[in-house]
Formats: sequence, C-alpha cells, structure tokens
Amino acid sequence: MREEIINIKNLAIGRITDVTDTHELESIRIEYLGRKGKINELLKSIEKVPIEERKEIGRLINETKQTIKIVIENKLANSKPKTKTSFDPTIPGIKPKLGHLHPTTIVINEMFEIFKHLGFSIMEGPEIETDQYNFEKLNLPKDHPARSLQDVLYIEEPEVLLRSHTSSVESRALENLKPPFRIAVAGKSFRYEKVNASNNVMFYQFQGVALQKGISMADLKGTLYYFVKSFFGKHRKIRFRCKYYPEVEPGGGLDVDCPFCKQLGCAVCKGRGWLEILGCGMIHPNILKNFGHSPKKITGFAFGMGLDRIVMDKFKIKDIRSLYNGDIKY
Amino acid sequence: MKIPLKWLNKYVKLPSKTSVLTEALTLAGHMLDKTEKVNGDDVVDLELRGNRADCYCLIGIAREVSALFDTPVKLPESYKSLLKKSNLKEVSLQINSSFVNRAMMVVIKNVQIKQSPDWLKKPIQAYGIDSINNIVDLTNFVMLETGQPMHAFDLDKIGNHLEIRKAVENEKVTTFLGKTVTLNKEDLVWANKREVLSIAGSIGEKYHSISESTKNVLLEAASYDRANIRRTIYRHNLLTDAGLRHEKELDPNIVEKGVYRFLYLVDKNNWGQIDPHVFDYYPKPVKPWTVNLNYDYLETLGGLKLDTNKVKNILNRLSFKIKKESNNGLEVICPTFRTDVTLEEDLIEEILRIEGYDNIPTRTLSLEIPSYVTPEYISQEQELKLAATEVGLDEIITSSFVNEKYQEFNKNMEHPNASPVKIVNRPSQDTEILRTTLLANLLEVTQKVINERGTAAQFFEIGKIYFKQKTHYEEKRKLGLISWSKDSEVFAKFKGLLESLLTKTNIENLTFDNQQINNPKLINTYSISLEKTIFGLGGEFGNIFYCEIDLDLLLGKAQNPTAQLWPNFPPQIEDITLSVRTNTKVGDVLSLIKNTKYVADVQLIDTYEGYYTFRIWYQHPSKTLTDKEVEKSRKSLLHLIKQRFRAIIKE
Repeated sequence: MREEIINIKNLAIGRITDVTDTHELESIRIEYLGRKGKINELLKSIEKVPIEERKEIGRLINETKQTIKIVIENKLANSKPKTKTSFDPTIPGIKPKLGHLHPTTIVINEMFEIFKHLGFSIMEGPEIETDQYNFEKLNLPKDHPARSLQDVLYIEEPEVLLRSHTSSVESRALENLKPPFRIAVAGKSFRYEKVNASNNVMFYQFQGVALQKGISMADLKGTLYYFVKSFFGKHRKIRFRCKYYPEVEPGGGLDVDCPFCKQLGCAVCKGRGWLEILGCGMIHPNILKNFGHSPKKITGFAFGMGLDRIVMDKFKIKDIRSLYNGDIKY
Repeated sequence: MKIPLKWLNKYVKLPSKTSVLTEALTLAGHMLDKTEKVNGDDVVDLELRGNRADCYCLIGIAREVSALFDTPVKLPESYKSLLKKSNLKEVSLQINSSFVNRAMMVVIKNVQIKQSPDWLKKPIQAYGIDSINNIVDLTNFVMLETGQPMHAFDLDKIGNHLEIRKAVENEKVTTFLGKTVTLNKEDLVWANKREVLSIAGSIGEKYHSISESTKNVLLEAASYDRANIRRTIYRHNLLTDAGLRHEKELDPNIVEKGVYRFLYLVDKNNWGQIDPHVFDYYPKPVKPWTVNLNYDYLETLGGLKLDTNKVKNILNRLSFKIKKESNNGLEVICPTFRTDVTLEEDLIEEILRIEGYDNIPTRTLSLEIPSYVTPEYISQEQELKLAATEVGLDEIITSSFVNEKYQEFNKNMEHPNASPVKIVNRPSQDTEILRTTLLANLLEVTQKVINERGTAAQFFEIGKIYFKQKTHYEEKRKLGLISWSKDSEVFAKFKGLLESLLTKTNIENLTFDNQQINNPKLINTYSISLEKTIFGLGGEFGNIFYCEIDLDLLLGKAQNPTAQLWPNFPPQIEDITLSVRTNTKVGDVLSLIKNTKYVADVQLIDTYEGYYTFRIWYQHPSKTLTDKEVEKSRKSLLHLIKQRFRAIIKE
C-alpha cells in the first residue's frame, strides 16, 4: 500500500511537470484529485489496511494529496499563457485623472520647506492694508524717494491700499509676535504697473524676517546662502553686495549667476551675467523702535524677493500674465 | 547715472581694467547697469542708491573710488577771490517759504554767449545732455561735477525784484522744453512781480533763460525741502536732471561749492565779469555732526570682528573724521555731504561695505531655534491643496480683480449688502474692482476650456475675496471648486468630489440643504454645513457646478484622523427599493436608516424612475448578529420609512 501511494505520487508529479497544456493539466487534476480520482480511491481502500497501519497510511495519503495539489498550483502559477499575436503595447494608455498644483504654489512650498529647516514658521497678513503698516512703520515716511519705486493702488487715498509688498507682514509680525521668532511669508502684492509680459499689477513676493538677540549680518548671509544653494543648486555662484533699502541698515542685495548665458551676458540678465534675486539687510533701528524694541538689545534681519520671475524661469514660462489667467496647461 | 570714465579719471586714479572698477562699485552699493561707448569713450551707467544724494556727481563717485581703492581724490579748482555777501544792487530776492534751505545768487556781466569748447561739450554729451551754449552747458557741467543744480537767468529780462514763493493755483508756466505746466498751490516757484521764471528744483521758463542775445547773467543755485520738490516733480512729471538731484537729501553746503566752481570756469575762460557781491540766504547753516560707533555693536550687527585700526582707516578713506577714541569705540564726525549717515547703523554699513560684504562670514543661524508658530489654518490650507490634487482637481490662481466682462458674476454669495472694493487710481478697467467671490474668474477660465480647449474642466482656487461692509473692509480666505464636463455632469458627482476632498482633510458628515443665495446667475443653489454652521454655498450655471467654502470658518473643524479597521464579525447585507413622494429628500431617508439600531452603513446604489435602491449593512462590532436581531431592526426601519415618508416599499 505504502509503495503504491508513493508511486502514484511520483508519477503524478512527473506528469504534472511534463505537461504543457492547461487542459491536460486539468484532466490530470481530475484524475488524481477529482471526486472519483485516485486519491479518493486510495482513501476508500484504507479499510483494507490493518488497523495499526491505518493512521500512518491515512497521513501518507493526505500528504500525497497536498503535494499533488501544491505542484498543480505551482504549475498553474508558473505556466505562461500564450501571447496573443495581436497584442499592441503601443496603444495609448488610459490615464487616471491627476490633479496639479499651480507652479507658484510648488515654488512657495519648496521655499517654505527649506526655511522650515532653518527654524522658520509661516505667517500671513492682510492684502488690504493701511499706509501705516505698508510704509510708515517700515521707515518709509510719506514723500520718501523710495516710495516712487512702489506705485500703490489706493482703495481710499491716502490711508487704505492694497499692500505693495509682503513687508507689510513684517510690520504685523513685529507687532504681534514675541521674539525670538523667524517667519517666512509668501503672498500677493499689488502695484500700479503697465501690464506686459514681465510686469503685472498683481504679483507674488516671498519674505523672511528673523528677530533674536545676537542675530548678525553673518546669520543673514548664512541663511540666504543656505537657501540659494538648496533652491537654485549648490553649484550656483552667489554675489552678496551692499544695497539700499529704507527698511534695513546695513542693507544688501543677493544675485546668482545667470544660468541662461553662463555669465557671458544675455537679454535675461541684461548683459550683467548676474540675476538679482533678493533684497535684504538688518532690520532698520527705526523700525525696531517703532515696535518697541531696543536696537542695542535685539537685532534682526529681513529679506524679500519677487517670486514670479523665479517661477517663470523654473517652469520656462515667458509671460507673467499666463501664470494667473488660467493659460497653464496641466 | 552715466559716468564718463575719462572725466572721472580727472579726479581720481582709476584701476586699469574697467571691470575691476565696476565690480568694486557694484559690491559697494552702486550697481553697474551697463557699460557703453560714447564717441569712443567708456561710459559706465551705475544704479545709484536713492539715499546717496552726494553720489549723483563725478566728485561723489570719485570719492567712492578713492575709498575703495585707497587712492586720493583731486578736487577741481574753485574761484579764489571770496565774494562779499550782501544784497545785489541789480536784483533783490524775497523768500516766502520755509521750504528753501539755501539760495545763492551772483551776477556776471558782459557775458560772451557762444558755442561750448570741446572740454565742456564732450563730457556733458557723454553723460547724455545736449550742448546749447557755453553758459547753459557750464551750469550742467558743474552740476554733473559737484552735484549742485543751478540755473542761469538773463539778468536784463527778469526785472529787479524776485521771489521764491508757492504758486497760485492754476498759474501757468511754459518750460524751457516747451511744456506748459498748470501749477498747484504747493509748487515752489521763482517769480518776478509779473510771472513765474522757473519751477524751483526742476526746470526754468524759456524767455527768461539764456539766449544768444543775453548780455548779463544772474546765476542762482539753491537747496530746498526735498519732499516738496519731489511732490512737484511727480505731480507734473518733471524728473529733470536737476529734479533728480533735488528730490534727494542734498547738502546745502554744496550750493556754495557749485557756485564758486562755476565762477572759476567763467573767469578762467574770460566768459564774463564776475560781480564781487554774492547774495546768500542760508538761515540754518548745516555743520558736521557726530555719530558714535561702538565696536561691540559693530561686531554684533556685522557678524565679524575688525581691527580698530582698520575701522579708522576705512572711515578716514570715506572722509569721516575721528573726534574721540576710546577702548569701546569712536566718536565720528560726518562730513555734511553724507546726509545719509546719521545713525550708528549707517556708519556700520559704511565700514562693512568698504571692508567688503565678501568678508562677512556665513553662519547658518547658529542660535537657539525659536518656537514654531505657524497658524493651524496655514497648514490646513496646504493640506487642502494637496487633497484637491489627489481627487483630480487642478489648481488655478486667478487675479484678485474681476474684469469688466465678468462683473455680473462678481456678487458676494453670503452678504447681499456687501459692496465690492474699488481702486481709486485704477491702472485699467480690468484692474479696478476686486473679487467678492472666486466664481467670476474661475468661470472665465472654465469657459475658455469649454470654448476652445477640451471636454472637461475641474479646477480649484484658494485665495482671498474682498468686500466692504458699511465702513470696514473685509477679506476672507475661500476655496472655490468648479467642474464641467462635456458628458453631462451630475450634481452627485460634483458633491462626491467635494466630500472626498474634505474627507481627505478629515472633515466629514457634511450637510447639504437647499438655500437661496445672492447670485441671480446660479440655479439649484444650496448650502453646505457642518455641525449646523453653514460654511459653504454652491449652485449651477449652465452645465457648470460651483461651490465656495469659507476656509476661515472651516478652521479647526477637522477631526483627528483615526485609523479604521475591517470589522471582525460579518455583516448581513440587504438591498431595499422604495418609491417616495417627489418632495422627499433622499438625505433624510438615508439618515433615518443610518440611525436605526444595528445599521452600520447605508448607501444609495441605484435610482430608477422614482425608485431608490439602498444597500444596508447590519453589523455589530463585537458579535455576529442573529437573523432575529436583524429582522427586528429591519421591520422597525421599514415601518418608520412608511410612516415618515409615505414610501412604498417594493418587495
């Protein structure tokens, strides 16, 4: 009996291994495992086995059954269905609908991510602002020459306006947050502009402010270099130079090498070889005083940059208007 | 400002390579805009700093070069014979304004008006000013050299009594360049008894200026309140070379320097006889002032430690004088032309920029990290944007303005009485009125798709809307959702999209109700609420579905996410089909079923000609329900449905 079982098992495994056709495999399965199959017949004939061996034989039959089952399953799993001759892998895929973030959002998120590493929080402020927060408190008194660089859109002249820069949020931060703090701001700003491919009435700015005892120009420079290397690439050249902004003293400007002409001079960089990226500096002592801080006790830095140019360069968009009129094709 | 290098070289030694010069100037705050050649000479165009009034001239730039390269400045020669300060016998000047800081006048007789020689003509042409005649050119030459604007009148045409006064409202003057300006009562003018001779600080009138026939000249140079001049310049669009300088904080002491330099050149060239009297109105002479410098503060702010000798050397190179010196710092005397340096921080910038920003070390904020204060709604907004893309929506950012064509859609949906916010100095009709809803612009984008681009549009925008209520302005953060499909879109699909999106941000159990809203263009309007608070409104326009969610209200409504597991005990699932009266809300039927004992879930799986098929899951979290228990529950819910909705159950 034992030998018979082992023979059946070996034969079955051999046949299953050799078989190439799935139909034939199925008939083998029925032959062995079917209701009237060889295994069931073996089980029926167990009565003829002496009682003391029955348990052992029963176990052997079951094991054989399991083995054949597994071998068939494996065979089925490994058997390769025949390739249809008409199969065409060049057929266009049916794509599930994907949603996309706006390029400006993508850039803002990326920048926030970098500044989060440096301990910055995110802040927002109103877009309808007062002259106080947009100018006066930021060391830009009325008739200051620097105001001519920012033609403002007034809602009620001369006090209520659309913010002309995100520095207004710096005012809000200095007023509402307890130092030390580091905040990053991204948002819309508005100026009176003749609209064309590179100027728009509405544009985006990115701003950073840090106020903490002991902050110096070296911290400002380190922060900005970290940002530029992270965002624009670690091999980019950086130029850090003195620049005047009424909101800061000392003030600075940061340029990166023009990637379009390898600094040979082109239309994008106006032949300068450098692209102006941002303005920055140490928060002006008058501003600190405006918000009740003593410049000798606490120092801070601020920086601001236009985002649209950066977004346009990154996404190869030529016209600023197409960013905000729904012309972007996703 | 354009700097002809050959001219600059007369006052200071220049590095042999122009790029070395312009790079140094750029890093120190005077960025090179471009280099060009005019008549074979190099001219560099620098973007000067608005607070450096002293730099808008050759001497100013020469001083910068001198400080940067540690090489001396050679100042130009000046008229040596000191003039006697007195009233002039030919002409008097009355000053009726506190906006005049200083005014000087001097008479030059028997003037020879002629073409300018090359030494005079070429430099000003290289700068970009046309040559007119020797006297006019000389005023420009000296202005470019010293930074002091000046004006020459024809002495015989101006009369005997002059005054500087505010203009009379609507008084008219035709400028040297032929432009007629209607003056405002805040504009400062030079005038005689009859008419205006020049607009102070910007431009002269033609008749009274120098002409071929001029015999005697009155030269004036003055210093004014820059803010007033600036207002006039921008009011009348008169940004002349003089105006460009007067709108900045000029040192009144250079008035004298300019005049004496002018006289020196007249005298040297024998172009006229200089009257030995000078009129000089200078009620509050400006004297050098002191600013203290503390070495520790220099280090704190600058982030670098500088040797004290180096600091002193830099200050000396910049014409600052050391008055006192201690271990802690310096008392520094500022030359009066440095009107921009009044604070210690200004002085620190001077030291840093000459030392070079390159030498400032880079530290990556090595201080303690301040606490994280990002408000919850900002992270929530970021999550919402991501969730929206996950359900297949594309983000659109549109203008904060609504153009003329779409104004009819620009209605605030919540507040019928809110008026749109308007710009008083609008740049164009399309940038005048701010959006009171995100609908108008999203609709415009969607209609572009419908008309020319595709078969489906599913967009969202997160941004501010603005409106005025009574006297105050409001801005609110909104999420706008718009959807259109060429294959007729159904509301249920749009609603599902919104629900999925909000579920992604852990906001569930929304209620939708019919609601009238303030927009005549929308039909089938409804409200969306959570815990009985309405936070969104929606409706339909054509085949376009739109809804707008108030993110300010939604803030904090998100639940903490909990992980859900498949239940351990099998459900009994049953479909029931019923027909209800037309005014019955399916939502009410669903909530009734949902609230029945043992019902774990219910879904509407089919609707057909007034019949609704619901699939109901009876399930218990900790045991297998018996048939008896399910039957009891089923009976009670069918009974309630019949009773409450007069529904007919299809068996």
